[in-house]
Amino acid sequence: MSEPEAPPLLPVTDDHDTGPLFEAAARGELVVRVCACGEVSHLPTSYCRRCGSSEGTWRPVSGRATLLSWTTVTHQLHPAFPTPYTIVLVSLEEHPQVHMFGQLAGTPDLTADQPMEVWFQQLAEDVAIPQWRPAG
Amino acid sequence: MFRKVQRQGPAAGRVAGVSAELYDHRDRCAIVGIGATEFSKDSGRSTLTLAVEASLEAIGDAGLVPIDIDGIVRCDMDDVRTSDLIHTLGLDNISYLGENGPGGVAPAAMVGQAVAAILSGQATAVLVYRSLNGRSGRRYGAASQASDAPRVGGNGTYDEYWLPYGLQTPGQCFALMARRHMIDFGTTPDQLGRIPIACRNRANANPAAQMHGRPMGLDDYLGARMISDPLRLFDFCLETDGANALVVTTAERARDLPRPPALIRAVAQASLPDVQPGNFYSVLMRESLTTLPAAPVGRLLFERAGLGPDDIDVAQLYDCFSITVLLQLEDYGFCAKGEGGSFVADGSIELDGSIPINTAGGHLSEGYIHGMNHIVEGVRQIRGTSTNQVPGAETCLVTSTALPPGSALILRGDG
Ligand SMILES: [Zn+2]
Repeated sequence: MSEPEAPPLLPVTDDHDTGPLFEAAARGELVVRVCACGEVSHLPTSYCRRCGSSEGTWRPVSGRATLLSWTTVTHQLHPAFPTPYTIVLVSLEEHPQVHMFGQLAGTPDLTADQPMEVWFQQLAEDVAIPQWRPAG
Repeated sequence: MFRKVQRQGPAAGRVAGVSAELYDHRDRCAIVGIGATEFSKDSGRSTLTLAVEASLEAIGDAGLVPIDIDGIVRCDMDDVRTSDLIHTLGLDNISYLGENGPGGVAPAAMVGQAVAAILSGQATAVLVYRSLNGRSGRRYGAASQASDAPRVGGNGTYDEYWLPYGLQTPGQCFALMARRHMIDFGTTPDQLGRIPIACRNRANANPAAQMHGRPMGLDDYLGARMISDPLRLFDFCLETDGANALVVTTAERARDLPRPPALIRAVAQASLPDVQPGNFYSVLMRESLTTLPAAPVGRLLFERAGLGPDDIDVAQLYDCFSITVLLQLEDYGFCAKGEGGSFVADGSIELDGSIPINTAGGHLSEGYIHGMNHIVEGVRQIRGTSTNQVPGAETCLVTSTALPPGSALILRGDG
């Protein structure tokens, strides 16, 4: 696997509806948006589609998940992502309906529904994102 | 403070809420003209020039002249604005302008808009068009984000939740769905390959198909390079420069025009209860990775049509990727969920099978006009003029169903 030919793609981290995930990642915490009614909102929206409240809070979760699916990308498209690399899609242990993405280098050996764990990748001085790897 | 909403579960609504009787459009309109340019990798012409050529052919095929057209419907991703065509073709009597999307979801829904405009008295003859330089111009398979963008996402796109992970293309998204289908149902690459091979077989009998004259067997399919596993090169659709156009009018008027009418038996659009906000890739946040909006579209469409999957003689299924077809065969009820792999391996989608598909070669081998060439081929089947004519075909299902909300229609002969 070669070195990236471009700097990482940095996410917008201050969006009203999605920013708190990145704020928490910067302090090494994985959070999800939970409404007072119990609805977990992901993709997060400020307005709760279940009860109509906008009073949700972001709460820490364990960072444990299972592997829903993955694909190893072998066709180079973007200079920030040299191939091969593997995109993983995980389902959170406490809230299986919450799906998140991660990226693994190369062509790892993976098994459906295997346990995964979060880690936090510092993409820039002020930007961290949750990442996922096989639980070790 | 917002008003509190009472949510009904996913089981409620849909079909139950929209009855066929409430939308009386069955067989009341018809497609009376079709047009197509050459499909190529480099048209050497503007998208407007392509749209003009396809539109003039469709209007002429309908036995009409441009001044007869009083409605026009555009796909939201088309580079050609309605006013570009109105101006260039001299459509001086336009009284209805419509638009639908996103992208490949549009074609059947665009015909649905034409039908609605006609039945509500807003127009009498509607031009529906799609034009793109999909290979030489704007390529939809390219990475979603330029590398020099300062930051990605925000503003309701949710791109910030996937683009930084290298999830960049629709093919990668469908690869994740294909993998889960293989995990849950044991679907194999050999089975998946039967879909591009069937499309290629049809293209080899269609001189206008981009992949005409390039036979492909299972070894060719499996031996092609992997792009985003488990999807290989030929699981991906073509990139095409070209245009298609249609003319829709009332069934009554259609009977006075030169071509046999392709009656629009029914048309439907539908979303899912768990549709998800944001751009494209958010569909991977849905609870099921192996069910498309095709499922609710199919239920509503068949109810409106008073028909079921067994009544369909031939189908043009939206095939941006091979897996998209496999999921739709299940979602439209041609086989049970999870059985798509063995269904296609049994030859069901070949010309002599129970449901021949994509008889011009589809997006996988004819060309990619973002779902519109599927409607044109559907009309050919009803007229009996396809290069892969299904003998006695009286009904044709055409789908415009990828990932976001979907649409579909059923055409039938006037017999
Ligand atoms: Zn709530």
